Amino acid sequence: MDSFFRSEEMCLVQLFFQTESAHNCINELGHLGLVQFKDLNPGTVAFQRRFVKEVKKCEEMERILRFLENEVVKSNIPIPADFTSETIPVPRDVLDLESRFDKLEQELKEINSNRDTLRQNFTQLMEINHLLKVFDAFLFYPHDRFVAGVIKHERFPAFEKILWRLFHGNFVLRHAEIKPHEEENMDPVKKDVFVVFVQGDQIRGKIRKLCDGFHASMYPCPNNAYARKEMRTNVNTRIEDLRLVLKRTEEFRETTLTAAAANLQEWASKVKKMKAIYYTLNLCNIDITQKLIVAEIWCPVSDLNSVHTALIHGSEQSGSSLSPVVNRIQTQQTPPTFNRVTSFTSGFQSIIDAYGVGNYQEINPAVHCFDCNVSYPSLQLIDMLVDGRYIIFLMGLFSIYTGLIYNDCFSKSFNVFGSSWSVRPMFHPHGPWTNDTLHDSGHLHLDPLVSGVYSGNPYPFGVDPIWNIASNKLSFLNSYKMKMSVIMGVAHMLFGVTLSLVNYINLKDVALQFIPEVIFMLSLFGYLIFLILYKWCVVMKSESAPSILLLFINMMLFDYSSEGTVLYRTQKPVQIFLVVVAVLMVPWLLFAKPLLLYRKHKQLKFLSLLFCLSLFFGVKKAFVSLQVSMADIFVYQGIHTIEYCLGCISNTASYLRLWALSLAHAELSEVLWKMVLQVALRVTSGMGSVLLAVTFAAFAVLTVTILLVMEGLSAFLHALRLHWVEFQNKFYKGSGYKFTPLSFDRMRDMQ
Amino acid sequence: IANHTHPYFNVDHGYLEGLVRGLKAGILTRSDYHNLAQCDTLEDMKLHLQSTDYGSLLTAGNEDLTVSLIDHRLKENILTEFRCLRSHSLPPLSTFLDYITYSYMIDNVVMLITGALKQRDVAELLPRCHPLGMFDQMAAVGIARTPAELYSAILVDTPLALFFQDAVSEANLDEMGAEIIRNKLYKAYLEAFYKFCQESGGATKNIMCPILEFEADRRAFIITVNSFGTDLSGVGRSALYPSCGRLYPEGLRLLARAEDYEQVKAVADYYPDYKLIFDEPEAGSSRTLEDRFFEREVKLNTLAFLEQFHLGVFYSYLKLKEQEARNIIWIAECVTQRQKSKIDNYIPIF
Repeated sequence: MDSFFRSEEMCLVQLFFQTESAHNCINELGHLGLVQFKDLNPGTVAFQRRFVKEVKKCEEMERILRFLENEVVKSNIPIPADFTSETIPVPRDVLDLESRFDKLEQELKEINSNRDTLRQNFTQLMEINHLLKVFDAFLFYPHDRFVAGVIKHERFPAFEKILWRLFHGNFVLRHAEIKPHEEENMDPVKKDVFVVFVQGDQIRGKIRKLCDGFHASMYPCPNNAYARKEMRTNVNTRIEDLRLVLKRTEEFRETTLTAAAANLQEWASKVKKMKAIYYTLNLCNIDITQKLIVAEIWCPVSDLNSVHTALIHGSEQSGSSLSPVVNRIQTQQTPPTFNRVTSFTSGFQSIIDAYGVGNYQEINPAVHCFDCNVSYPSLQLIDMLVDGRYIIFLMGLFSIYTGLIYNDCFSKSFNVFGSSWSVRPMFHPHGPWTNDTLHDSGHLHLDPLVSGVYSGNPYPFGVDPIWNIASNKLSFLNSYKMKMSVIMGVAHMLFGVTLSLVNYINLKDVALQFIPEVIFMLSLFGYLIFLILYKWCVVMKSESAPSILLLFINMMLFDYSSEGTVLYRTQKPVQIFLVVVAVLMVPWLLFAKPLLLYRKHKQLKFLSLLFCLSLFFGVKKAFVSLQVSMADIFVYQGIHTIEYCLGCISNTASYLRLWALSLAHAELSEVLWKMVLQVALRVTSGMGSVLLAVTFAAFAVLTVTILLVMEGLSAFLHALRLHWVEFQNKFYKGSGYKFTPLSFDRMRDMQ
Repeated sequence: IANHTHPYFNVDHGYLEGLVRGLKAGILTRSDYHNLAQCDTLEDMKLHLQSTDYGSLLTAGNEDLTVSLIDHRLKENILTEFRCLRSHSLPPLSTFLDYITYSYMIDNVVMLITGALKQRDVAELLPRCHPLGMFDQMAAVGIARTPAELYSAILVDTPLALFFQDAVSEANLDEMGAEIIRNKLYKAYLEAFYKFCQESGGATKNIMCPILEFEADRRAFIITVNSFGTDLSGVGRSALYPSCGRLYPEGLRLLARAEDYEQVKAVADYYPDYKLIFDEPEAGSSRTLEDRFFEREVKLNTLAFLEQFHLGVFYSYLKLKEQEARNIIWIAECVTQRQKSKIDNYIPIF
């Protein structure tokens, strides 16, 4: 259960295993996914590491795999679905796979290049065919000076323009678009056949050059009709032949690719594991004799046994004679932070990690994440299923709860238990009202002092429904919600400070930090809550009731002269005492800790002087660094004190956002009710039903988009802020680093 | 062209500016260069580049790793990014980006002309053109025999036609003529681009004008220095100087009169920024004049990222990326030729 509130207890472990069993061992650990390898060669650049060649080889294999996959996908061959291989990649596999891949790649490349040349030939022949087909139509009279060719469709206009510019129209240009053949859709580029008739060889040479530049292919074309016909039949037979060859090639390629596709997943996972293993080995040290590999790992203490078992299992598989040695070592280094999550807690944990990964063994705030969701008002259900579905689910539950408390659903109240207020007793003969009063006055005031008006028992759950129709509903609820926000805020912050206690017990300075902080907050803001609750509990005339705001301000100013600030009898001495205590806490917080450290440091100085006498240089160095850090401690403590004291005030004010949100939400739902749905409900004619259907649609859409989605999001954001800033800064440092174990499962998920 | 004030800038160009700033974060840093310079083989470089934004740029395909392959891939990379920016852009950014491509078009035209003069095949020349400056009529450039023909037959439809007003002549094209055409086109181009940026106003003007002024002055200096020993006269030279730089008009007049390197240096002495460039480098440094101009350019371009809501970042990003490609190629060349002593002559950017 301890790990629920804190990150796991980690330990640094040294592993020794034989070079031969390294693969199997790391493979096992990778499957286990609970071990983070420490880099034992930090200063070394990537390409100077030991297994860099092997990593490169793996990368090369990955490249070939990508190439294969591309080819397979391009040819629309299905890749067999997810395949998890349990085979262990051993070094000889690398050689095996490598040669296999190389062969496959070469083969495929050869096929591809063959196919490409064949296709190119084929297109050329098709183009000649087209050219011959249309040539006769272009020819007015026998002419033997021409350039004929095929050019890309979109280049033709530019080509034509330049011809005009260069030869000033002294040529005849004919062109026709090639109609693409259905079956030969492998070359989807639109092309034009053109023939330019010109005079003079020089100009023809220029046109040839131009054609080169425009990537137009020129074809010789016989200028007598018979030769053309013969050429055409010739071309046609060659086209048929080529078509056959192309088909064969295509079939062969497909079989090769299908065979490759079947193994693709297995190979990919194998290579990936292989690369991970070599990458991990790069982090380890190798013994001079090359026989032993030394690794340092972080792993959770509770999983030490399974790590050991995995290692033994791995070395047994490799048939190694020596079983690996696991050696737990003491260390000063900060271990990584590891919080186990389930699908329910992972959403909350990622919210916390987004702010900062906790220090090692720091109390985990995720557990308390949901208590800030309490703040969300009004009855609503959100049934979206996204990643943070549990967060949304909890938010929905709390929303419903607060909705019930405020007795507010679509700005209407439920009168389940019957209101505690009754109007009837206000009338004659018990009360002052007569029928005339009803006619004459716009506002009527229910007086709880008249017997029978207020039953004496409050409404059993939530706000009394009569407030929903009261004209001072808003000011009542505002004051109520505002005070609730402050109470909840202070409680939330106190909870945060209390959580810091748990961190301090580990760090042993409760008296210097925790106690003054708690006293400071309790004596000011705890007292504020007391005032609020006290005022709620005693009956007072509304005219003479003191304003808590003024009362609190005057308390800080020691001003007791103004009237109407007295709530109870011994108020003045109590308040003066509390303010003085709170002010005293500031120097305590500010100086006690640094001064204590200073004293310790002085003792140390004396000791180190002794050491210096014995010419112990290392200690002198340590002593200098200690002196430097003293100034740091003073500054740090100063900042912390200022931040805490001012923070208490501003954070309390910040919790008023709960009230503001609730107010905005309630008003919006009231507006939607009154301006949209009620309009239709008031229509009494037969068309009312139609109008109702229309307005209800609008009402429903607006409710979902504004009240549920938008307001839900804003409530979440505000809760997040309150949690991150106001709550977490009381106890959470969040400057740790995350535990990133070698895990094959995670690697697969990342893809 | 609308004077772009802040609130409206993001409506049209906000996304792309964000994109380009994100891309800028991927520009190699000093520590990257430091690591690259330690490599012993191109394979090592590839491995290191994998950990940068280039990722698997060099791993795709199984051709042998050569410097020219790296060069090709880097150019392709720049081209992809630029095309992405260009195809998402709206005016005036699209016009601005087009202006950037014109300088490559000019270079391509001149290269094709000189190639044709040397009887090279067009098919062989085309792959060597800068991909950013590709245009349809490019292939026909080799056919023209005089600048007038070049203009009226081929380039009249291209955006370069605008810059041609001074370069039209009936003289036969030769290599010297091609160079002169290049510089004349470039002069007109720079002046037009400068005017465009000035009319854009706001931060675009503040950022781009100094960069283009520097570019103009650099060309003026380089033209002068390169013309020594050729038959290009002072008058001929002054027709090639772009007039939008800070040297205009006094400095250019002095440059036209200069007859050797010392005199050019004397001109530069009047301008503190250029004095620094022309000053003798400290002993041991093997930086050429060109390198020092590049350094200055990099500095100006990095400044562009300090301000927001302007078009200059797009220009600067492209130029910095080109410098980065030059740096990588330089290091790669040094690595393959085992010239470790010169490897540190790259120009770090950030």
